[in-house]
Amino acid sequence: MTAAIALIRRHRVAAVILFLLVFPLLMPYQALAINILIFGLFAVGYNLLFGYTGLLSFGHAAFLGVGSYLTGIGMVHLGLHWLPALLLGVASAALAGVLIGWLAIRTRGIYFAMVTLALAQIVYYAFYKAEHWTGGENGLRGIQVPSIELAGFKLDFLNPTTKYYVILLFVAAALWFVSRLLASPFGAVIEAVRENEQRAAACGYDVARTKLLVFVISAALCGLAGSLRALHLSVVPIDSLHYLLSGQAVMMCLLGGMGTFFGPFVGAAVFLTLEDVVTTMTSHWMAVVGTVFMVFVLYFPAGLWGTLVRRIDKASS
Amino acid sequence: MDITPSLLALQLVTGIALGAIYALLALGLSLIFGMLTVVNFAHGAFFMVGAFVGLYFMGLTGNFWFSLVLTPLVVGAIGLVTERFLVRPLYGRGIDYPLLLTFGLSWVLIEAMRILFGIEGMPSSTPPALRGAVDLGIGFFPKYRLFLIVATAVVVLALWLFLEKTRYGLIVRAGSRDGEICRVLGIDIARVWLAVFGIGCAIAGLSGVLAAPTRAVNPEMGIHVLAESFVVTVVGGMGSLVGAVVAGLLVGVVFAMTSLFAPDLAELSIFVLMAVVLLLRPQGLFGKAGLMG
Amino acid sequence: MSGVPILEVEGLSKHFGSFVALNQVTARFEPRKLSAIIGPNGAGKSTFFNVVSGAFPPSAGRLKFQGRDITGLAQHEFARIGIAKSFQITNVFKQLSAHENVRVAVQMRHARYQLFKPRAAMAELGERADALLQRVGLADQRARPAADLAHGQQRALEVAMALAAEPELLLMDEPTAGMSPEETRVMMDLITTLAAERSVILVEHKMKLVMGICERLLVLHHGEFLAEGTPEQIRANDEVRRVYLGQG
Repeated sequence: MTAAIALIRRHRVAAVILFLLVFPLLMPYQALAINILIFGLFAVGYNLLFGYTGLLSFGHAAFLGVGSYLTGIGMVHLGLHWLPALLLGVASAALAGVLIGWLAIRTRGIYFAMVTLALAQIVYYAFYKAEHWTGGENGLRGIQVPSIELAGFKLDFLNPTTKYYVILLFVAAALWFVSRLLASPFGAVIEAVRENEQRAAACGYDVARTKLLVFVISAALCGLAGSLRALHLSVVPIDSLHYLLSGQAVMMCLLGGMGTFFGPFVGAAVFLTLEDVVTTMTSHWMAVVGTVFMVFVLYFPAGLWGTLVRRIDKASS
Repeated sequence: MDITPSLLALQLVTGIALGAIYALLALGLSLIFGMLTVVNFAHGAFFMVGAFVGLYFMGLTGNFWFSLVLTPLVVGAIGLVTERFLVRPLYGRGIDYPLLLTFGLSWVLIEAMRILFGIEGMPSSTPPALRGAVDLGIGFFPKYRLFLIVATAVVVLALWLFLEKTRYGLIVRAGSRDGEICRVLGIDIARVWLAVFGIGCAIAGLSGVLAAPTRAVNPEMGIHVLAESFVVTVVGGMGSLVGAVVAGLLVGVVFAMTSLFAPDLAELSIFVLMAVVLLLRPQGLFGKAGLMG
Repeated sequence: MSGVPILEVEGLSKHFGSFVALNQVTARFEPRKLSAIIGPNGAGKSTFFNVVSGAFPPSAGRLKFQGRDITGLAQHEFARIGIAKSFQITNVFKQLSAHENVRVAVQMRHARYQLFKPRAAMAELGERADALLQRVGLADQRARPAADLAHGQQRALEVAMALAAEPELLLMDEPTAGMSPEETRVMMDLITTLAAERSVILVEHKMKLVMGICERLLVLHHGEFLAEGTPEQIRANDEVRRVYLGQG
């Protein structure tokens, strides 16, 4: 058993991708699976900053939203093909990450949450007002992606199953990238900064620059999730930039397990499935999730997956 | 549109009235942060609850003054319960946890108001005694706006007197710098924290009931207000009560003046102000340099 | 004394608000020597240490390292240019193992912004870390979380981490604070061997320790320079005797 776990640990990306390959078969309908994939990526990107570097941002919806909107704008207003539009979305989100990150990192600790929230509001208002480009309150419509050409194959993007696996391609690549990053020497620096900034600086690490680099990478990943979401929904709702979505990233990470590789995915899956189920029973979803979240903060701060990982670690040592 | 001096003056008063609300909110936030090192992410929600509860009491009794006194007590009580049972268990853990908890609480409070008062919100109107305008020579100014400014000034003064002139206030100020002192003096610091959290929330509730006649009262109103309170706090400097008041008024005036000259940019303007302050003086106008950068 | 001093301060001052912690201190430290900064409580030793180790910049005056002016240099640059320190209050990465603590410190010199190669595959990092742990006597503790180590072992870990930066100058703030006599002896032996191959400056208030092994002493009093010289010179210095004996 321990050997199996060690094997999965070493090849965690492959294990996760394997799981995600069969995931649609476990879900009642594909749209939920696709949503979990997209928000799982959103949560993984956010987790890099929150769980691994220890920076609590409350403005990450800005990057999801920028990714979505710029992809949409690229296709609807600039006539771009889906792939360049997607890259535009990611690059724009990364740029937003540089601007917001640079300003936010000038603050320390507890301020960071407030500043990121406020800076994300700037993005929200700016996109809300730019009606000509973004559709304002009604959102950006008309992102047509009927088919996708990949490696010579013409794939029907409107087919939910096909859509899932195409999106999985990108998510898998992103997960591989995150895994490599965390396993690299830079990954150790990230954790050192989270553990003890003063110590990390004394060792010779530029803490501010490290934080900014992680912030930008995190923004790019969330931007990718946003771009994929735009392609999936064919619209970009104004809610994409809303503070509540930033809060969702936080919730998903904590529910699943911050600072673990797979935790955010679990968190996203649990959050979205719960939402799906609860909203059929009651319209008071916010109260339910708010309560669940408070319970986790108080009693299960390591999250579902995080607690499981800890139990396994304890058992094997 | 003709920009006359009386129009400017009117807008200025509107801005100061808006700033008064911001100042109150930021005061509550700074008080809680200064004392407990907790960023109350439910602050906007308590504001919203205050608005709803205030309107409810008004509707029940027809008496604005009654509502004005009772609402902060009710909201403060919710704050006391929150600190005692939800926030207190988290003190050893790390500064992010109380923040996260209050964030979750805000979602519950928003939904609770939806359940109690409906998703559309409540219609709000100026209390009859404070309707109409007053001629101050240079123009007519809405009574309610002037009342807001005066009421806030009274509360700020009362708070200042409490903190500077009473023994309990001294404990609060000392405790915010060093909890050890209180423990050494045999003062139950937990009681102090409980009280301060309650007071902070009560102030948020008060600003809600004061603000209710001036804006749409719906369950989502606290979300924007939260972001705006954070702007004020960053501009003023976290933990600084003078900063909260000055920055609150500044932000209110900036918003009102921008509304006059470039209405589309009004909401953006205050966030841009925050960004500028972050660039030039990250600790805020009155904040201590050690806290930042 | 010929050659460039390893560390030099000119008119160094530091105020905290209206409180003057250091006032116009001028001193030089020679390379490859074991030096110490001593003085009664409140002499400003810690403030001096913090300024010369980069924790905060001076309010006035200049700081020079190997002749180069480094006044106001950012904290993280200090380790990079060859000044490493160990803290007065132990400051390690508590959740990481002893080995991981040192390896992170080693990385600074050898793989700082590597984003892609798995660090597990970079054997030389692990080997260097283990060698340093061996040096400070923590080889058998390599897998234990730093939080679980005894106080003396944590201080030894700090030394290993400081050495990982391959410093020309090692600054140590009260390295034997809170240690048992046995742990103190081990640490002082280690410091003596380290001083043979690089410059070491200690802040200490245990006079006996310092008199026995240091080659040069700087005495501070009320944030000001009081005296500088060999242990014999300091012992014979009337002002120093007055200040210390007067303290009771």
